Amino acid sequence: MPSVSKIKAVVVDDQLTMRTLVRSCLQQIGILDVREYPSPQEALECLKVTPAHIILSDFNMPGMDGLEFLRTVRADPVLKSTGFVLLTGRADAELVKRAVQFGANNYLAKPFTVAVLKQKLEQVFGPLTP
Amino acid sequence: MDPMEAIRQTYFQECDELLLAMEEGLIAMEDGEADGEVINAVFRAVHSIKGGGGAFGYEVLVGFAHVFETVLDHVRSGKLAPNGDVVKVLLRAGDVLSDHVTAARNGAGEVQDGDVKEELNALSGISPDGDDAAAAEMEGVVFTPIHVEIDDAPGPAPGTWRIRFAPHPGLYAKANEPFLLLRELGRLGSVEVRADLSGMPELAALDSDQAYLAWDIVLRGCNDRAKIDEVFEFVTDDCELDIREDVPLAALEIVTQTPSPAIQPADPTPAESPPTEKKTAGAPQAPAEAATKQTIRVDLDKVDRLVNLVGELVITQAMLTQRVMECGQARSSTIGAGLNELEHLLRELQESVMAIRTQPVKSVFQRMPRLVRELAAQTNKQVHLTLDGEATEVDKTVIERLGEPLTHMIRNAIDHGLETTEERLSAGKPAEGKVTLSAEHRGGRIVIEVTDDGRGIDRARVRAKAVEKGLISPSASLSDEETDNLIFLPGFSTANQVSNISGRGVGLDVVRRNIVDLGGRIVIGSVAGKGSRFSLTLPLTLAVLDGMVVAVGNQTFVLPLTHIIESLRPKESDIRPFGSNGRLLNVRGGYVPLVSVGDLLGVEDAAEDLAAGVVILVESEGVGRTAFAVDSIIGQRQVVIKSFESNFRHIEGIAAATILGDGRVALILDIDGLVARCREKSRSSEMQQAIGA
Repeated sequence: MPSVSKIKAVVVDDQLTMRTLVRSCLQQIGILDVREYPSPQEALECLKVTPAHIILSDFNMPGMDGLEFLRTVRADPVLKSTGFVLLTGRADAELVKRAVQFGANNYLAKPFTVAVLKQKLEQVFGPLTP
Repeated sequence: MDPMEAIRQTYFQECDELLLAMEEGLIAMEDGEADGEVINAVFRAVHSIKGGGGAFGYEVLVGFAHVFETVLDHVRSGKLAPNGDVVKVLLRAGDVLSDHVTAARNGAGEVQDGDVKEELNALSGISPDGDDAAAAEMEGVVFTPIHVEIDDAPGPAPGTWRIRFAPHPGLYAKANEPFLLLRELGRLGSVEVRADLSGMPELAALDSDQAYLAWDIVLRGCNDRAKIDEVFEFVTDDCELDIREDVPLAALEIVTQTPSPAIQPADPTPAESPPTEKKTAGAPQAPAEAATKQTIRVDLDKVDRLVNLVGELVITQAMLTQRVMECGQARSSTIGAGLNELEHLLRELQESVMAIRTQPVKSVFQRMPRLVRELAAQTNKQVHLTLDGEATEVDKTVIERLGEPLTHMIRNAIDHGLETTEERLSAGKPAEGKVTLSAEHRGGRIVIEVTDDGRGIDRARVRAKAVEKGLISPSASLSDEETDNLIFLPGFSTANQVSNISGRGVGLDVVRRNIVDLGGRIVIGSVAGKGSRFSLTLPLTLAVLDGMVVAVGNQTFVLPLTHIIESLRPKESDIRPFGSNGRLLNVRGGYVPLVSVGDLLGVEDAAEDLAAGVVILVESEGVGRTAFAVDSIIGQRQVVIKSFESNFRHIEGIAAATILGDGRVALILDIDGLVARCREKSRSSEMQQAIGA
């Protein structure tokens, strides 16, 4: 049973509001090691130096979107096994389907509650213990 | 502060930025300059506003943003052509969205969006309850989450290895080839190899059979230490080898390596479903500027404290310099040189700190297109607004107080300046009127101009109006410029009926007063039938001021340099008495009212003989030139402004205070206020005389 305090998470969103919100939710679950980046490019650079267990990324971003980011992560020899949760703002079956194709570990539709986020993470990590 | 409240504030700050980006994009679309990336940016902005709004439960806002976003999605996927009518609806939708954000921020107020929402729905071709379809579609999707195991036992780990490989000199003698080993490492993952040349001897001392080089290798993507050891298996005795794992992190392993295609669409996805993501995925980087420019958010109070401290520092430095000079140290002494250097650095520091407070005028300019749209609709005029120099930077305080005057000037340009469409056509002008708003730096100040190509100022009508209102005498002879400036007088309005556009209780006189309060000036240029131009000139900052320091009796005053035209020593014969106790000064044949600052402010022991002192010629708004007599000029310098009102109270004729190098407080004179004050004084003394007689 994984200990929640060991999890290192990375949050990627071009909006400061959403990054702060996701971070705050993660902290309420007990995940304290949270790093945030405004763009996939910056996240990729830093992840190569200091890896994380899970990436929570927005889909809708300028430059590189969440799916492209996911694909890049999966293609990287070092990062390929990092967990990836795609945050979607839309009830879009097509998008979720493609996230599956690219190997997302889970998806999360906005807006979400702390409980839903926890549930989505437990689907990935198994029951989380403090 | 409650953490949620802090995030909410961030959200609204971000909303402001997003709304600006949206507006900018929509305007580009209106001008037909929008490419896929611009439309995408607009979509993203609305989408992000919706996303954040959802998190805080602003349902009305989210509902509207959703409808808006759907239409934008159709536009970016090419289903809907962004023609003029569509963009008009989008622009209005942008305005409504902005109202929604404001309403959400204030936690109150209903937004009238009925018809815009319906028009958006009509564009997207969905019925107002069409959402359920998407939700239903979502339910058909089954997503099987892929498990990730966190293994915190130290064990085989993927990741990065740092390897130091330093062969002993005799490595080659044993028929080993380092390059083959490096190549072998490259098969295990991605490698970065750096050769260490420090062991290389001089060419003369080089023995070609010996190994001198060493290598530092970073290997990524290998999770088996044994494989690395295998590569170096045959050389371990002939080299220094150090292999270290770089990742102290608990290892990760995905148990299910291949994601199973777990999706079971309830019904086949509609064939015309647009591949919307492709565009963003393949798109090149957003403008390089956005990518490289990094910003941080800082509490304004912190910046202000810094500005204040630097101000104090400048004063202390001036005092220190003065003390040192009083001690008989020469400017050229080492102490003097050090102080000089300090002064330079301080000025640079001050400029840098001031620069933190500057912002592009864009934030104010961007509010104007909406205003123009609304006014154009209300007045039934066709107006095209051009913005220029939005990137021009100016102090935040100036920006904040710029909104109202600009709004008023634009209102004035559209309501009074531009003719109706029929009038324009019969005058041979294009039906669409042009209004330009521009900003630029000019000589250490910022100049903002509002130009229109309307009818220009009707001087005969302005004059008639001014005579009718008793502002000027019927016989007054005024230059064109003076006539134009009449519209700034209090109580002046040429509109026959006060319309609800220009006549919102604020006249141009108030606009001018606001500008002057900021240390600025406003000037009109106008050509009948061709249009008018309002130019605002403002200081870049309100924290320091270039001033002329003068002595009057035992007092020291600072006159703002912007108002000063010239200074001169008057001849006894140039001073003429005028009226009961007024005086005029003959300046190269023209007469200017001469006022003693000492008399006006009641300074004791001011020089009685004006001809013995210096006269400073100043220009004040609307009134023209006045000559101020002072005892002597001390010098010209930059002074740090200390607000008078916040520490004492407002005094007519005094703008603020400052601290001089000798530690004394000097008052900064408000030229316009002083001129008004002396006019009043002369009027009341005439009255007294009339009564006394």
